[in-house]
Amino acid sequence: MFKASAKMDFKLRRPLEASSNASSSMMSEISRNLKPGLPFIPCDSTNICYGARQEQSFSEFPPPQVTQCHGLYAREQKTETKNQLEPSSAVNDLVMDWNPRLMLSNLSFLEQKIHQVQDIVRSIISQEGRANELAAQQQLVTADLTYIIIQLISTAGTLLPNIKNALLSATPVAQTGVVANLPVNASQKHHEVLSVELAKASEYDELIKDLNSGGEGDELIKCLNNSVAEVSESIPIEDHDIKDYDDGMDGENLPPGSYEVLQLEKEEILAPHTHFCLICGKGFKRDANLRMHMRGHGDEYKTAAALAKPSKVASSEPAIIRRYSCPFVGCKRNKEHKKFQPLKTILCVKNHYKRSHCDKSYTCSRCKTKKFSVIADLKTHEKHCGRDKWICSCGTTFSRKDKLFGHVALFQGHTPAIPMDDAKVSGMSDHVQVGETTNGMVANMGYNFSGNASDDAQSLDIKDVDDGQGYFSPMNFDACNFGGLDEFPRSAYDVSESPFSFLSTGTCSFIPRNGEN
Amino acid sequence: MKRAHQQHRHQPFDSILAALSVDLLIQILERVDDPRDRKAWRLVCRDFLRAEALHRRALRVLRLEALPGLLRRYAACLDLLDLSACPGLGDHALATALFAGAGSWLLKSVSLSRASGVGWRGLAALAAACPRLESVDLSHCVGVGDREAAALAAAEGLRMLRLDKCLRVTDVGLAKLAVGCPALENLSIKWCLEISDIGIELLAKKCRDLRVLDISYLKITNSSVKSISSLGKLEVLSMVGCSNIDDEGLQFLDNGSNSLRSIDVSRCDNVTASGLTSVIEGHICLQKLNVGDCFPELAPLFLSKLNGLKDSLTVLILDGFQVSASSLKIIGVNCKNLSEIGLSKCKWVTDEGISELAAGCVNLMSIDLTCCRMLTDKALMAIGEQNKKLVCLRLESCSLITDKGLEHIGTGCPNLEEIDLTDCPITDTAMKYLSRCWELMILKLGLCDKISSEGLVHIASNCQNLRELDLYRCIEVTDDGLAAIATGCSKLQKLNLCYCIQITDRGMKHLSCLEDLRDLELRGLHHVTSLGVTSIAIGCRRLTELDLKRCNLVDNVGLCALAQYTGNLRQINISYCPVSSMGLCKLLGTLKCLQDVKLVHLTHVPVEHLELALRAYGGQLKKLKLFIGLRDLLSPWLIQMLHARRCRIRWVDKPLVFSP
Repeated sequence: MFKASAKMDFKLRRPLEASSNASSSMMSEISRNLKPGLPFIPCDSTNICYGARQEQSFSEFPPPQVTQCHGLYAREQKTETKNQLEPSSAVNDLVMDWNPRLMLSNLSFLEQKIHQVQDIVRSIISQEGRANELAAQQQLVTADLTYIIIQLISTAGTLLPNIKNALLSATPVAQTGVVANLPVNASQKHHEVLSVELAKASEYDELIKDLNSGGEGDELIKCLNNSVAEVSESIPIEDHDIKDYDDGMDGENLPPGSYEVLQLEKEEILAPHTHFCLICGKGFKRDANLRMHMRGHGDEYKTAAALAKPSKVASSEPAIIRRYSCPFVGCKRNKEHKKFQPLKTILCVKNHYKRSHCDKSYTCSRCKTKKFSVIADLKTHEKHCGRDKWICSCGTTFSRKDKLFGHVALFQGHTPAIPMDDAKVSGMSDHVQVGETTNGMVANMGYNFSGNASDDAQSLDIKDVDDGQGYFSPMNFDACNFGGLDEFPRSAYDVSESPFSFLSTGTCSFIPRNGEN
Repeated sequence: MKRAHQQHRHQPFDSILAALSVDLLIQILERVDDPRDRKAWRLVCRDFLRAEALHRRALRVLRLEALPGLLRRYAACLDLLDLSACPGLGDHALATALFAGAGSWLLKSVSLSRASGVGWRGLAALAAACPRLESVDLSHCVGVGDREAAALAAAEGLRMLRLDKCLRVTDVGLAKLAVGCPALENLSIKWCLEISDIGIELLAKKCRDLRVLDISYLKITNSSVKSISSLGKLEVLSMVGCSNIDDEGLQFLDNGSNSLRSIDVSRCDNVTASGLTSVIEGHICLQKLNVGDCFPELAPLFLSKLNGLKDSLTVLILDGFQVSASSLKIIGVNCKNLSEIGLSKCKWVTDEGISELAAGCVNLMSIDLTCCRMLTDKALMAIGEQNKKLVCLRLESCSLITDKGLEHIGTGCPNLEEIDLTDCPITDTAMKYLSRCWELMILKLGLCDKISSEGLVHIASNCQNLRELDLYRCIEVTDDGLAAIATGCSKLQKLNLCYCIQITDRGMKHLSCLEDLRDLELRGLHHVTSLGVTSIAIGCRRLTELDLKRCNLVDNVGLCALAQYTGNLRQINISYCPVSSMGLCKLLGTLKCLQDVKLVHLTHVPVEHLELALRAYGGQLKKLKLFIGLRDLLSPWLIQMLHARRCRIRWVDKPLVFSP
């Protein structure tokens, strides 16, 4: 198997090298295109830096063959994805002053990327057989495709109005079991199906066509949908229930079929804006804000009719109850789940998806430990953070006295710690406290931290860590991925067992953490 | 004993021990009861002193400076240490004193009541030094909070704890104690206003052996009663003034545990008869029931339920009720074993009712009839005829009774120890009758303006055990009466002579032979001069409280004498006295035990001198009363300092008027 993977590695190299070339060329293009003072640039550069260092540190590995293969691949893939991801986020950030050139370069890069994928797929077809390799390659393809999707959607998201609902509510096409020759055929079929549905979304097509001079956009969408279909089909649905937050649906027992299920796509859920100006492309969170904005584009938008709330045309058919499905396959809120529990509103979907399947990138500025994926949760927490003045002698903290006393009643020998004066409490966060109240807590935290660090050091067995690059040392990097600190949810295609495990999880989860440091 | 002292003084010491071994000495000592005699014993010789040290189990420290020496001497055998008279006792002093015992402490009980200077460090030292500690009294240490409670919680064997009015103790402190001292049997958290249901719930879960619990005046609700009801061994429950508790809460107590012996729900405004009946039903062995000031009317249902307790119930307090003759009759029929009844401020209590009660409950020992204004001599006759065992009778403001009624009491109740006749229209004849009660210890005759020295002579002739005498505004009383009292009632400890305006220095001279006198009130005695006060100071060395307010002739000389002789004085009131700076400075500069000083309208003392005197005071002042006009004149630094030393200043806003 090792041999095989090594072989595969050789085969893979060509396209990957190409991609890395492409990425570097694109980087230069971006840096040319963008003015120097733009906010995303420093962030980007750190990541580039990181990529370089990562390369160094990996080269320090004692090279057994398989890891070498990983390492190589990881390195290239990483630099590549990094460079590509960042511009996209930059594009997101730059929604305000949208740059068509940047868009163009993005798209042309995507085109190249798609060609690469095609190459891989071709190589799969020509190879045909050995399941192990196939699986690995398939993962590779899916990884690339998802990446493309993310790029595409985020690029398109800067331009597009609310067309996506229609696009994404498309019901998955039943195509199980055709794994071997799936990509091409499936995509064609699927595209046919989808294109019908997309007819209503003509605006979308037109827009893309206008911008990309011809059928390219179409092709992109083809690929996109293709990959989406593949992704959702190729993985057996698992039953891992992720802890449910209150998303407003529990207790509602609608009989299945009595309501229409819509499923927004991940990227759409995560898009910062949902309403976009058709003229300048500016995005808004609320339709009302967009309408206000439209006034600036001319007198025709200032009429009472244009400013009025769009009347609910759908009210003619009031019977349809709309419910939402989470795009995360295997989630209880996903419509494929056996005990599917739909989500009530789009807001519920957004919150649910962020909470359950996204990185918790908002850290509480006070306690530095609690993390949230929904900013409102962070704000709620920050209101109460530091007010956990009810502390048990064992170090456990409680926000409510009765909870603490319940705890004390339950455990032999535990006593409530005496709450400090306010002045002392405020000082507590800054200095190491003397006295029983916080000792336990501090000790606990300290323990956790050191435990993790040592674990990682052991598991990696790295002797020389460059101190100068403390933050970016491989140890730190791996702590993020394997130390269990990071709760990055496994993506839909659960690849944790495959040799490419950190291509999908690691690369994505790594970025925010690095920025945080 | 003084004689013994003189006898042995000149003999060589070894000869005493040769004749009497230490065992025998201790045997003898056990037969010496009077503390004065014991003091004499201690002074005989070192061996006697040593024998006394081995024998002594309890120690009450009156002066802080003596503490280290006393503990060094008595450390070995002491069971009980009372430090309640040492408000200046600080953590350091306590820790040092305990350290002197060098770990050999057998102390079981420590009283730190009102010793407000002790903090958590001292208590931690106490808990560490005394492994056998079972009982601690921290009542009225208003500064005691959770930290102190936590320090005390280290004493695992603690069984009794009083935290009355430890205002800063919260649920957390209570939880510390509940977890740290699971053997707690007797706990009082009266007035610990911060404690809530949550704390009580945890207490009930952790201290399963609780027998006595006082949760009076807490802001707790029915859920606390629910958790308390789970305490299977609870015998005494006091919940005075818990107005958040109602019948629903009391119903939780009716859970079949049948352990309660005493319950006090007085002043619980929301408790009614139905809640009480459920308590009575659930605890048929109830001996003591206090339902004073709960609900106005005695419901027939409640009265009939008392029948269920007829054998056990001994104490019934019904203060503030409307008690008709018929209900008293029912009580008399149902509760044969009643030994104490409280009918204070009850309306509609008539002679008939009392007669029925007295006829039914022949074992009554204590009857409180305060403010039962309809009562006449007939009631007293019934009591005197039926209740031969009567010990305590309170008749304050029973304005229809006369000497004749008291004749029945005097003849019928030979065991009477306490009688309150404040504001009753009685004369010296009544005193003659009462003098037959030779065990009388407390006699209150305030506002009985017909009582003269003649009556006091009767009392003094027979009542040698009198401890407390109240002659407030008995304006007929003269020096002769005091002479009789001073000779006849030599054990008198408390005497109130306020506004007995005929009294002069001569009377004071007589009183000076009362060695046990602790509390003397001489308010408004215009004829008493510094001379009288001096004789008191010289004679009554144990004096701890003295009120000289408006004694217009007492000046510096009196104060100097007090400063010199009454070292144990803790409270003094010299408001309106014509004392000057010198006397005040001498008083405050010399006395070390003063805690409560009232210095209103000292017209002869300039502000600067007052300030100086207050700064010169070396002890621990807890309360200070001053004229409000001085608030801005005294330096803020001084006031700050006093506050910092935990002294409360009461500013009096009364104009200076010279007639009482």
